[in-house]
Order: sequence, then C-alpha cells, then structure tokens
Amino acid sequence: MSQNTFTMSRRSFIAGALATGAALAMAKPSIDASVAFANDAAVDGGTLNYYLTDPVSIDPYNVQENQGMQVCNALFDALTTYDGQQGKLIGKAASSWEANEDATEFTFHLREGATFHNGEPVTAQSFVYAWNRLCSPLTDPENPSVVSYHLSMVEGYDDVVAGVKGATLNMEAKDDYTLVVHLSFSYADFPYVVSHLATAPVPESAASDMATYQWAPVGNGAFKMDGKWESGQYIKIVRNDAYWGDKAHIDGVDFKILLDIDTAYLEFEAGNLDNTQIPNGRISAVAAQYGVAPDGYTANPGEETLLGPEDSIYYLTCNNQDKIFSNAHMRKAVSYAIDRQAICDTIFEGTRVPADNFITPGIAGYEAGAWEAAKYDVAAAKEEIELAKKDLGVDSFSIILNCNSGSGHEDIMQLIMANLKEIGVEAKMEAVEWASYLQKLQDGDYQIGRLGWIADYPIMDNYLYPMFYTGNGDNRSQYSNPAVDEALSAARAIVDDAERIAALQKVNRMIAEDFPVIPLMFYRHTIVCSNRVNNLYVGSLQMIDFTKCWLSA
Amino acid sequence: MKYELAEDYVAPQENALEASKDSTKPQRTLWGDAFRRLRRNKLALIASVWIIFVVIIALSADLWVPQTFGSPTDIDSSTSAARSLLPPRIKGLENLGIFDGTTDKKNLTTGEMEHINVYQVNAEKYPNSGVQDEYHPFGTDLLGRDVMSRIIYGSRISLSVGLLATSIAVLIGLIMGAVAAYYGGIWDVLIMRLADIFLAFPYVLFVIAVLAVFGPGFQNVFLAIGILGWPSIARVFRSAILSVKENDFIDAARAMGAGDWRIIVRHIFPNSVATIIVYATMSIGGAILTESALSFLGMGVQPPTPSWGYMISDGKTYLSTAPWLMMCPGLAILSTVLAFTVLGDGLRDALDVKMKDA
Amino acid sequence: MLRYILKRILQFIPVFIGVTVILFVLQNVVPGDPIKLITGEKAVSPEVELQLRIANHLVKTQEFPILDENGQQVYDEDGNPQMVKRAVNSKGEPVSNSKDAEPESVWDRYVYYISGLLQGNLGNSYQKRRPVADIFLEKYPYTIRLALCGIVVEIIVGIGAGVISAIKRYSFWDVLVTLSTSILVAMPAFWLGMLLQLLFGVNLKILPISGAGANSAFPEYLHYILPAITLASVSTAYTARIMRSQLLDVMNSDYIRTAVAKGLSSRKVIVHHALKNALIPVVTYIGIDFGSMLSGAILTETVFNWPGIGLTIYQAIMQRDWPIVLGGVSIICIVVMVISLIVDVSYAFLDPRIRYGASAKGGK
Repeated sequence: MSQNTFTMSRRSFIAGALATGAALAMAKPSIDASVAFANDAAVDGGTLNYYLTDPVSIDPYNVQENQGMQVCNALFDALTTYDGQQGKLIGKAASSWEANEDATEFTFHLREGATFHNGEPVTAQSFVYAWNRLCSPLTDPENPSVVSYHLSMVEGYDDVVAGVKGATLNMEAKDDYTLVVHLSFSYADFPYVVSHLATAPVPESAASDMATYQWAPVGNGAFKMDGKWESGQYIKIVRNDAYWGDKAHIDGVDFKILLDIDTAYLEFEAGNLDNTQIPNGRISAVAAQYGVAPDGYTANPGEETLLGPEDSIYYLTCNNQDKIFSNAHMRKAVSYAIDRQAICDTIFEGTRVPADNFITPGIAGYEAGAWEAAKYDVAAAKEEIELAKKDLGVDSFSIILNCNSGSGHEDIMQLIMANLKEIGVEAKMEAVEWASYLQKLQDGDYQIGRLGWIADYPIMDNYLYPMFYTGNGDNRSQYSNPAVDEALSAARAIVDDAERIAALQKVNRMIAEDFPVIPLMFYRHTIVCSNRVNNLYVGSLQMIDFTKCWLSA
Repeated sequence: MKYELAEDYVAPQENALEASKDSTKPQRTLWGDAFRRLRRNKLALIASVWIIFVVIIALSADLWVPQTFGSPTDIDSSTSAARSLLPPRIKGLENLGIFDGTTDKKNLTTGEMEHINVYQVNAEKYPNSGVQDEYHPFGTDLLGRDVMSRIIYGSRISLSVGLLATSIAVLIGLIMGAVAAYYGGIWDVLIMRLADIFLAFPYVLFVIAVLAVFGPGFQNVFLAIGILGWPSIARVFRSAILSVKENDFIDAARAMGAGDWRIIVRHIFPNSVATIIVYATMSIGGAILTESALSFLGMGVQPPTPSWGYMISDGKTYLSTAPWLMMCPGLAILSTVLAFTVLGDGLRDALDVKMKDA
Repeated sequence: MLRYILKRILQFIPVFIGVTVILFVLQNVVPGDPIKLITGEKAVSPEVELQLRIANHLVKTQEFPILDENGQQVYDEDGNPQMVKRAVNSKGEPVSNSKDAEPESVWDRYVYYISGLLQGNLGNSYQKRRPVADIFLEKYPYTIRLALCGIVVEIIVGIGAGVISAIKRYSFWDVLVTLSTSILVAMPAFWLGMLLQLLFGVNLKILPISGAGANSAFPEYLHYILPAITLASVSTAYTARIMRSQLLDVMNSDYIRTAVAKGLSSRKVIVHHALKNALIPVVTYIGIDFGSMLSGAILTETVFNWPGIGLTIYQAIMQRDWPIVLGGVSIICIVVMVISLIVDVSYAFLDPRIRYGASAKGGK
C-alpha cells in the first residue's frame, strides 16, 4: 500500500549498471540450475516459515497492503487471479466469465463443488453477501472498510456506501453458480478488479461475527487458519485438504511476525526463516552468497535471491496548476536533467531500474521508452529549459523540491538537486513528515514532489485512470486534459483485450506528450529465500501462490 | 557574595542611581575572583579552548574546508556512485594499515597481515572506485560527500541552535520566573502550574508536535527548543530570585520608591546573573543534544545542509557496512556537549552558584 | 498524610486538564488529515472518507428517516421508524461529500473525549482501527519491562559507582566514574544505542540488534540488555553523581565524624550510617526517573525498534492518530503523577524529619 517502507540500499555491485535479473545472475557463483524446475520431484510436507510484518487486516473486508494480502491470498480464492508466470488472468472461484457489449454487465460462472473451510458451498450468494458486507458501513459502523472503492463501479455502490439501510449493490445470483454484476459505467477491465482479494467471497454464517472473524477468517482458499492471528506474533495456516484445485505440497505456512528487517535478516541467517527482505547495503553480498534467480521471481536452491522488477513506480509529481510547472517544457527539462541511473546505483545498489514509462514493465501494454522525456539527456534538458524560459518570460528558475522526511527520500532529492544545478535550475528541498507532506500535495501547495504508485491490478488502466483522469483523488498533479479523459473513458468500454490495450497505449502516449509527472524508477524485489525452498514464485505484484512451492526434505 | 552585596545596601543611600552604581563595585571583584578560580580549573580550561576552537573552525570554514576536504553539499551525479561510502583514509597512515581506506580486516589471515601493502593493492576501495588520489579522513557518505567537511559545516548548525535556543529559553524563563517569584500569589500559582503542564509532557514528543505545526527547518527548530525549554529555567530562576528577594537591599530600593520592574531589572537580575550564566552554559549542551535528536528523527534542518543528528540517522541504515557514518558526527556531538557541561560545571564552582544536581 | 495525598491529587487535576487542552489545540493546528493518511500513498475514495469521518466522530451527523421509493417512511417490525445516520452541512441537510460536511467542533470532540475517558474508554485508533486501550494493553508491558530493566541497571551501576567513587575519593576509580558520567550525560542516547548495536550485535554477534524478542533466534531476555543500558545511561550517570556527592556530604557531617571518633570501623560507619542517610535523595531521584522511564523513550525505542509506547505515540503523532496520542499522553501523565506521589510519600517514611500535613509547604 504505502511506499513508506522504503528500502534503501547501496550502489550497484556490478560496475556499469546491468539492470536485469538475468544479468545479475551472471554474478553468482555458478550453481547448476538443473535442480530447479524439477517440479515432478516435488516433495510434500514441511512448514514454510514466512517473514511478515504485522498486517493491517487479513479479512477481505479491510485487506490492503501486501502483508495482509499475502495471508489473504492463501486463505481465499477471489473470482479471478492474475498468473504472473503465464502473464494472464485466470479463473479461480469463477471458471469462466463474459461481458455484454458495452462492458456494463458481467456474468461469472462459478466453479461447482468449491467449499468454504467450514464446509459450506461457495455460491453466487456468498459473493452478493461478501460484496455488500465490504461496501456497507453498517457492517461495522465503528470501522468502515477503506477498500470498498474497488467495487465503486458497481451500480448502487453510492447508496450502499452511504449506509442507506436496505440498499444493495446491483448484482444478482441467477442461480447458485451464476453471478451477474451490473456496472454503472463501461469498464472492460472489471474481471481484473475482482482478482483483488477484497472482493473474495465470505460465508455469511461465520463472517457476521466480525469480532471473531477478523482474527481467524474462514475462506475458500487452498489454506485455512490454524488457530487465530496473534497480533505481533504469528499467523499459522495449514493446507486445506478439501480444496477443489491443486493441493499444496507444503503442510502449511507459519507467518512469523517481526517488526524490523534487521531482526528478520538475523533470523533468516540463523535458519529460522525461509525468506526475508534484504537489508540495505547487503544486496551484493547476499546475491553472491545465495545466488540469484535467473527470472528474478522464482526461488530455488542455489538461486535464492529474487531481484525481479515489481509493478510499482517511484515518480515525481509536478503541480500542473503551478505557475512554473504548468509548462510542459519545464517538466520535460527537469526530467531530462535527472540521471536516473546514478540514483539507482548510488542509493539503491542497482535494486531500482530507471523508469522510461509510467506503466511498469510487468503490465500488458508496456512499451519501453513510451515516455520519451523520461531519460537522462542534458542537451535535451538545456533545450527544453530555454523553451520554458521563453514561454514563461523569465531568465532563471528557482524551485522547491518537496518530499516526506525520514525515509531516505532526501538522498534522492539531493542527487536531483545536483542534476538540476547542471542545467541552471536552483532547487531547494523541503522535507516535511509524511502527514504534512500529504496535506501539501492535497492542497496543491507544492511545485514538485515525490510519490510512489503500486498497482492494485496488473492493468494499464490502474495507472492511467487514477493518476491522470481529471479530478481523481490520486491525480495529485492536478493534470487535466479533456481529450485524455474522453479517450480513457472510451478505452474502458472496449471489451476486446487487444483492442483495449492498444487504445490505452494511445492514451498513454497522449499523456506522455503532456508529461504531467516525471517517472523516475521502477522497484525491484529485494527478497532472499532459504536453500530448502523450491519453486517459490513471488510475482511482480508481490503475491505468492503457496500451493506451488515445496520444501526440500 | 550575598553578604557583601547586602552590606553595601545597609548603608543609607542618597538616591537610587547612586545605589545601583555602587552595586556594581563588589561585582567587579566577584567576576575577578571567579575568573581566577576558573583559570585554575584545568578541565574547564580545556573545555573553553575546545569550544573556542570549534567556534573558530565553524566561522572560518568557508575559507579552507571546501578546498581541503571538498564541498559539504555539492554532488556530482556522474561520480557519486564511485565515491559513495568510501571508508576513512588519511594520508601517510596507509602503510600502517589504519585509516587506509579499507574496513574489513577481520577476514585477513596473519600471513596476509604481514603483506598488508599487497592487500591494499588488491582490496583497496579507493583505487577500485577510480579515486586513488583522494583522501577522506572520515570517509564519505552515501552520496559521495566528504564526511569531515560535513561535520565541520554541521558544527555551525549545532552551535547556533544551541546558542539561539538557549537565549530564547533563558529569556522566557527569566521573565516567567521573575514574575512568578516577584509578584507571587496568583501569578506564582498560574505560572508554576503552566510550567507543570509543560513538564508533564514527554519533552521530545512535545517538541516534535510543535515542529509538526510549524514545519521543520533551522529557524523553527531553535524556536521550538527555545520556547519549550522555559519551564525548568523558570523554576531555577524563581528560586534564585526568591532568595535574592529576601535581602534587605530590595526593601531599601522599594522604600526609595523604585518601581517593580526597575527593581527586577536593576537589582534582582544583576544579583542572579551568576545563576543565569551557569544554567545557560549547561543548557547549550542540552539544546545541541535536542537538536541532534530532532535531526535524527528527520525533523531538523533541511538537507543538504549538514547537521550532526541527521548524519547519524543517515548512518543508522549503514551501521554494519559503513559505521564511520554514525561514528564521526556522534563524536562531534559528544565532544562539544561535553565541553559545554564541563565549562558549566567550572563556572558553577567558580561563581559559587548553588544548584540542585540534575 | 491522607490529606496530603488528596491535595496532590487535586493539584494534579488542573495539570491534567491543561495537558489535554494543549493536545486538543495541537490537534487543530497541526497540518495533516488523519483520515487521508489511512490508505497511505493511495487516495481514500470520497465515499469511504466520509464514512470514516462519521465513524470517528469528526463530522456532525444527524439521524434521518429512511424513505422508500414512494417517499414513505420505512418502519421496522416493531413499528419503529427506520433511521440512517448521515453527515450534515452547516444547515443540517444531509451531504454525501466530506468537503460539504460540517466538521465536529473542537469543544464537542473534547467533551466526547473526556466523557469517554471517565468511562474508561479511550476511543478507537484512526489508523489501526482498534480500540486505543487494546493497543496500549499490548504495548505498555514492553515499556514497563524495559523500564524495570533500566531501573535495575541504574540502581546497581549508578549506586555502586557512586559509592565506590565516594569511598575511594581521588582514586583511579573516582576519576573513572566522574569522567564516564560526564561522557554519558554528554552523549546522545540514540548514538550510544547505535554504538552498542555495532559492538555487540554487528561485530561480536552476541546480542540481538533490535526488536523485543518475538520470533527471535536469541532468547527473549537478551533483547532487553542493550535497550535497557541505553535507556538508563543518562540517569545512571546522574545517580552515580548524586550518590557520590551525598555520600561525601554525609561523611563530612558531624555525626559521622563522631561515630568515627568513637572508634567505629569505617566500613561499619559507611554501611550503617552514612549510606542509609545518603540514599534518601538518590532513591527520590530514581523514583522520579522510573516515572519518566515509564513514559516511554522515543529515541531508545526508535533505535531498537522496541514496540513500546514511546514509539507508538511518536508514530501516532506522525500519522496524526490523535486518539492514540491523547490516550497515551493521558496514561503517561497519570502514571507519572502516581509514581511521584508514591515517591514523595515514601520519602516521608524514609526520612522521619519530613512530615506532610496542613503546615507543610505544598509541592516541591
């Protein structure tokens, strides 16, 4: 959810800056990769010890950051899921689905025979209940869900979320296994939305007792709770033998809750954890010691370090209503001036990649270099700054860079300030703590500031619509282009995947022309796993399918 | 000293002006005595020399530091990765195997230790990073800036925050303490209750909350530390003034028709000045510590302006891989604060001020 | 004595009210909207935002009757009209947007808070969506245990060093104690903590670097050592200094000189007479210091990632989670008050010369 847990690390361990996971793999001591992919030889049994920081929630009702999502993903099947290895959306609780012509009505056909952990069947009615539970503040008046926005396109959402008694979302259970959902506007990417675990089904009998349920949710996934979540200590889950699909190899997962990364790393070294985040300054040492996974995502013995790109981006938001930054030449000048590779190498030890697009590389429709001005080119920067000077009728620029303090963002800003100096732009930094910073962004009381964006669903729309559609809450650059708005709305109604992606690519290029924000870096994994872990795939959305991994005996 | 002053006032005076003129006479001997006593205190002497040294270095930094060690703020993005986190290296000491630009000596076998020069050729970070001609006595930080240079420039922040914050705290504390002590009654109750309320807050939390209101930055930091520092000072002055107030010369001055404020400013303050000086000297150290704590938490002066506390927090992330980052600024804080405390102790003894310990 | 205790409690009430009032003032002048922070970098959707404001009593609400499609009032099975709680604007009309909603007045929120507090209800955290009381029940034990460890360090090391340096005045040990106490006082505690981490955690690898021991490879008690030393460092130095100067004062006093003159062994004199009397102010200092340790130590807890209340309140300020800040500071105030009362009362027992009563001077 939040990029506050910003990890910093040191410069690239490969001189130059080879950026891909495959290149990193060359640095590792050569351990034969034949052990990997030996899925036939998968051993059953064993418990995975998984490092977790205390989640916000593991109940779909409020599941938000990737910590809670990880647990929720093991406990629940949503209608669909995004399979990163295959690169496509696949059915989970739903076996198939279809949309009407203008993408306002979706019909999901549910898998028959699937049950909740308490034995109740998963029916269309379970979804109707779960989704209304998610959206209505009457579910828990003291604690309304903050993630109900996922379903904001469903008809009737406004009334339900306002707490109007008796109001329901416009969705119906045609029969036990057919679910029809009506949307209030065309949205062809809806099947991706329902891959989010907040939309997972819950059994009414159990979930109505909120006080118990949130600590030990009863789900429909491949794993079930073993006891309740002990806040600050652990969450234990075990294999659900009644699961409809492929059953897990491992017996269960012990999510060990640790508050800080240093302790976690020591635990990992002591052999008490099967995975951890790599602390700053240790990436190169860890990569050399444990070996790097060639694909960046799948951990196997000898290929234990995961450094694959994630679907999240670090960018500078420009205030498009500001006197200076309303000028596209100025925004492009700043972008051209920034040596992104130097930031990735100096501060992040190569665990970030210079961004050349606002869409991250793991997303279908990503085009390398689509945001043309998102690269280091001092000559171009000087050209643009002259144009900006002419447009604005000034001789020199003095600007303020904003960021939130205490998470290492200051270091990035200082490098950017040095870059800007080279093109004659005097920049000062204003680092305030997070709450004040967010307030500044919200009030439009800034020129240029930093932000991160993590995709909820792996689709282009999840970048373009929240960020660049006029008036949206996440559109903190206050960018507004009626042509873009119109093209976005039109693209959202295109049911055919390929056509829609092509349309969104066109929108993306339109936005890149205006260059309202400045993409800086894409994030990468900084995960290392123990050498008994096989085929543990950590996707670019940081999700793990625990059913596929197995532990060496 | 009290005795002397009191005696002076027992003698009948023609007018108030003359009275105040005379009152300075014994003070001169008081200061003279104090200075002599201070000079005999070796520790205090060393402390003052250190403080003067730091002040001179801080003031003259622009003239020589950037040329000698490099700029404390400027970054060259094309070389920042190469210069990043270089360990300490001092010219002339390389052959001794200390401060030679390497850190990890634990892994060396005894045989290798004998051929330390060989080891340097192979493992030295400076040549590997292409900066074999550079010497950074305290190493470099993440962005490739010289730590020594940053520490010297950081002293400007620490010293000025210390001085300014203390001045503000003393000024407010003085007024509050004086009003409480001199007027007594409801004023005393009100002001001391207010002080209680301020002291009931966990201090650092309070400063943080106030800084959250006004935002970080040099000016706000010293204002916040200063404004929130008054209660304890007010308490000290209140009791100091109460003890002065009991003296006959105050009654004498009042009998001659001197107004309240005149008495406070002309008679009470000069007689509590020793307490003020001692307390202020000690508070400077405290203010420097508070500033470093705030910077450590990211609420101090804004980067790239170097500040010692901020540098330590920078080093927290690299504790195991680049310990010099937190070590050097910490030593700077320690030595400076220590100097102010020792000097304060010395002054207290020299001026014979009775203060509660702690 | 009872009268004195009662008086102290009465004196505490205005201080407590003052503290809460200041917090409420801060709450209104500190920039940053707690509700907008709940979802981190992602914006809260406007509909959800309004519901969160209603749930946290941040906007004025009113009950409205529910009308069906024909505009008719809806009744439940018992014949009572069905109502819905909606946010309202300044004119009392229902609104569906946070911007238009009338914020709850500071005064109303204050009254709401105090009335909750009197019923033992500290409210719910904005961010963690849990009762504040639960959060502190979870976190406070860590702070208490750490404070106890700290106080043990302070008593053993502080008093021990003070006694040694007083008895062996001007010896090597005296100089060592004097020097090290000065250094400890001048050292930023968080820096000391980091030095300890570097030495014992990173280099020697014999003590854990951080955390309180949940799921750790080290036995839990080892996690307390470094934070306790860091927490107690400054006050241990003060304890040693006070102990030293008190013991010297007492040993120079007439009755000790008389005892020595009478031929008692110096060891006996120190143990039976001098130490006992010199300890009184030291115990007072340690008592008050225990109170402040129980207030949580932000810096120590930050450095060691200790899940105590100092770190919790600090993070709450950063997150503008005011219920936690209010609850935490209220608890701290009460704890400090109770401890200082206990200290003062026990002072009377330790030192028979002191009598609290109508004739005694109030306060210290």
